[in-house]
Amino acid sequence: MDYLYDGSFDGLLTCIYHHYYGAAASSIYQQDYYQPGLMVNTKVVETDPALAKRVYIAIEEKISGDALEKTYHVYLSSDSNKENLILNYLRLGFKMGAKVDHYHSHPDVYSLHKLNRRVGIETHRLLGLLRFKDTGRFLYAAMSPDHHILTLIADHFADRLAGERWIIHDQKRKLAIVYVGQDDSKMKPIQDKWYLTDFAYLMEDDIADKDQHWQQLWQLYFQKIGIESRLNPRLQSQFVPQRYRRHLLEFQYTSGTRKVP
Amino acid sequence: MDIMTKLDILADAAKYDVSCSSSGVGRNNSGGTGNCRSFGICHAWSSDGRCISLLKILLSNDCIYDCQYCVNRRSNDIPRASFFPRELAELTIQFYRRNYIEGLFLSAAVEKSPDYTMEKIIRVLTLLREEYEFQGYIHVKVIPGADPLLIYRAGLLADRMSVNIEQPTEGSLRLLAPQKSLSVIYLSMKELTDKIQEHKADRRHFRHTPRFVPGGQSTQMIVGASQDSDLAILHTAQALYEKFRLKRVYFSAYVPVNKDSNLPAVNTAPPLLREHRLYQSDWLLRFYHFKAEEIVDSTHANLETEIDPKTAWALRHPEFFPLEVNRASYEELLRVPGIGTKSAWRIVSQRRVAAISVEQLKKMGVVFKRAQYFVTCKGVYAGNKPYDPAIIRKVMVPEAPLQQMSLF
Repeated sequence: MDYLYDGSFDGLLTCIYHHYYGAAASSIYQQDYYQPGLMVNTKVVETDPALAKRVYIAIEEKISGDALEKTYHVYLSSDSNKENLILNYLRLGFKMGAKVDHYHSHPDVYSLHKLNRRVGIETHRLLGLLRFKDTGRFLYAAMSPDHHILTLIADHFADRLAGERWIIHDQKRKLAIVYVGQDDSKMKPIQDKWYLTDFAYLMEDDIADKDQHWQQLWQLYFQKIGIESRLNPRLQSQFVPQRYRRHLLEFQYTSGTRKVP
Repeated sequence: MDIMTKLDILADAAKYDVSCSSSGVGRNNSGGTGNCRSFGICHAWSSDGRCISLLKILLSNDCIYDCQYCVNRRSNDIPRASFFPRELAELTIQFYRRNYIEGLFLSAAVEKSPDYTMEKIIRVLTLLREEYEFQGYIHVKVIPGADPLLIYRAGLLADRMSVNIEQPTEGSLRLLAPQKSLSVIYLSMKELTDKIQEHKADRRHFRHTPRFVPGGQSTQMIVGASQDSDLAILHTAQALYEKFRLKRVYFSAYVPVNKDSNLPAVNTAPPLLREHRLYQSDWLLRFYHFKAEEIVDSTHANLETEIDPKTAWALRHPEFFPLEVNRASYEELLRVPGIGTKSAWRIVSQRRVAAISVEQLKKMGVVFKRAQYFVTCKGVYAGNKPYDPAIIRKVMVPEAPLQQMSLF
């Protein structure tokens, strides 16, 4: 039987609950993207936070905290088959316990670990490859990552730029993290001051005049630091794939929109 | 002179410094700007494929020394510039809050005297740390010959410090940089090492002992400017790791910038492959429990260019292989070409739940193309060629492409 859920993490965990205490699930899909087959029964699972919490605790206690984290990160990925990878992984996990993560070559473990790694790599990448602009009132950064990693990078910037006000905008998902900062810069930074919100506004031209100056300096620096006799664009592409360059200031001048002095 | 021109000159002058890592220090923000992550973060990659993590820049390129390999040597006729400390601090902060960089890597040409230069560096650090309350990463170059007290003061403000050794032997340093000497450089290194150890030991007992260079010490050697062999380079590197507990030894393929009878000609290409092989050996020293004597010896004084140093070692030691992956220890697995620290760890961890077959080995992150000739899985030899070093070498070394013979 195919289970359909609403796309939330709680919804997914509720499906796992019903898989064990109701009819076994053959697959789990998001309701909005599901294409019904001819011979398959489906069941729409209503999200129940209480049941989800029981599964959440069970994963942590019967498998491991590490497995729970991996499950959540894979849930944040944009893979269309992620729910089934999670289902298979957890089924094996409830049988094997914490040892499941040792079984690297098992197909269910292997594919989940691989996807988990993709999400981890992109999270780490965007800690570096995010560029803020000063709008005069707050800092603004735009990105279009492959996976939904906004919440995974928020704590890092809330700590680092504790005295600022900033917005990180995921243009692909039309979501943003908003950090309102603190009233007194001498106060200890408060970690929970960011929140996730819908955000469709494009702020491309909303920049303070002074920001232009620092942008030009950065572009100049970026150009100067490369050694001509070691030129290696292939290596550069491996580290900064083309899809990230749209939001990177230092790659803008190549498209001719901005001139480097 | 405006800041644009200064950045132009001083970034250009700093680009030959290799180190750019921002790792080794974990620190949360305690009410200022910035923090550090122990894994380090790269922010951009320049056109040569090297990462940009720190704002790598010289405070000044106005040098009293005349080192032959250096672009900023006194006798070169190039534009000179110096930052005001506040100018540079402001630049760092503005870059940092836009997330362009992870911190500052400050180096300087020796302006007037080592002490004068070191004092100016300290002014920049004090401004950043105290006035701007900057808590990001700072890497500072030690000016050899500066007063130990000044170096100590800088160390209390910085996260990592480095003294560049430049050449692996006293002879080649004398030849190329007559005003520098290895003994002075070693002395500065030794002082740093001792102070780092001292603060570490103290911090175990007293919570309020300040941190001193928590990210440790690194250094850099120029490869290809002198006649030194890889043997000399690797032995020096190993000694530095063991005696001075350095975190990193960087190698920099010499890019000819000056004309001199002691140096390679200006149009020589930098020895990038040699630099790459040296870094591979460096990894063997630091993470794979190799000794320099195993990688190079007096009969093989230079690294082979066609194959990596680990494969070269494996082919010289056929008695060690093939290894049974289900029985070999972690240290033994590290010796197999194509198995790295992560895949070795995965193999050891999976063996607790299931034995590993050839097919499964491929899913461990092992580079099977190389590893196949050196392992057995459940007693089955994994390679598609017989185990014979001569044959394996032939398979692994790509044949030189055929060229049309010259008519004349």
